Amino acid sequence: MPMTEAFLNVGLNHYLILSALLFTMGMIGVLMRKNVIVILMGIELMLNAVNLSFISFSSYSGNLNGQIMVFFVMTIAAAEAAVGLALAVAIYKRYKEINIRFFEQLRG
Amino acid sequence: MLGAAIPFYILSFLVLFFAYKTITSPNPIHCALHLAITMINLAFIFFGLNSPFIGGVQLVVYAGAVMVLFVMVLMLFDLKTEVRAFSRGLFSSFLKVASSGFLAGILIVGVLMSTDMLDVTSDSVGVGVKATSSTDIALLLFNQYVFAFEVLGLLLLLVAVGAVAVSRIPGGTHAND
Repeated sequence: MPMTEAFLNVGLNHYLILSALLFTMGMIGVLMRKNVIVILMGIELMLNAVNLSFISFSSYSGNLNGQIMVFFVMTIAAAEAAVGLALAVAIYKRYKEINIRFFEQLRG
Repeated sequence: MLGAAIPFYILSFLVLFFAYKTITSPNPIHCALHLAITMINLAFIFFGLNSPFIGGVQLVVYAGAVMVLFVMVLMLFDLKTEVRAFSRGLFSSFLKVASSGFLAGILIVGVLMSTDMLDVTSDSVGVGVKATSSTDIALLLFNQYVFAFEVLGLLLLLVAVGAVAVSRIPGGTHAND
């Protein structure tokens, strides 16, 4: 039964496919939602999917550099969330709503 | 073999289910809580992949700090359930979901076709290896990557100052209009 074998023998492929599905979920969230904060959450999902593929490659090849990269990605994600939420606060102060369509008025 | 498969499938089902709930809940607070549960499940997947340090950092930084930031900003706004949570347009929505599904298909087919070419074999090389200690990561981080680490610290300082500056401007980012 090669099919059952492929299902039960969890390897690198399974983690990469999970990562691809999670990335797609985040991408659909970014494309479909109107709320800026939920869009940021979709971006966090996509970054987490990338982290998952880094970790699985690192674990299955025995190379620690992938984990360092995940460490950096996490820090950048925290910084990005802080800036995005500050922009959301700036939009809310002006329009009393955090809709993505108000971003086009934030020029200059 | 089965002992490794069952936790993986349970955790990946939970991750995908709560990710789906994250992007479909109309209330942003529910989105944030589902995202926190997704992060926690991902941390357990990281533990299962022999990287306990990154799993712990995921729990503390993502499920802790970043989600607290999100929930605090949401509570600052006092948002009710949104009337229109999704972007309008049936055809464009279909196009967005279809293109995302197409991307997922390309990624999955690419993964399935290319892992034969990689050096790593698919049957549990990483499972037998001992868990990576934080000492190994620290040695790598403070020797080979110490410059990037310092630059990251500088970036965090700049972002902290910039976030405070952006959100303290009265009347948004272009008050002089």
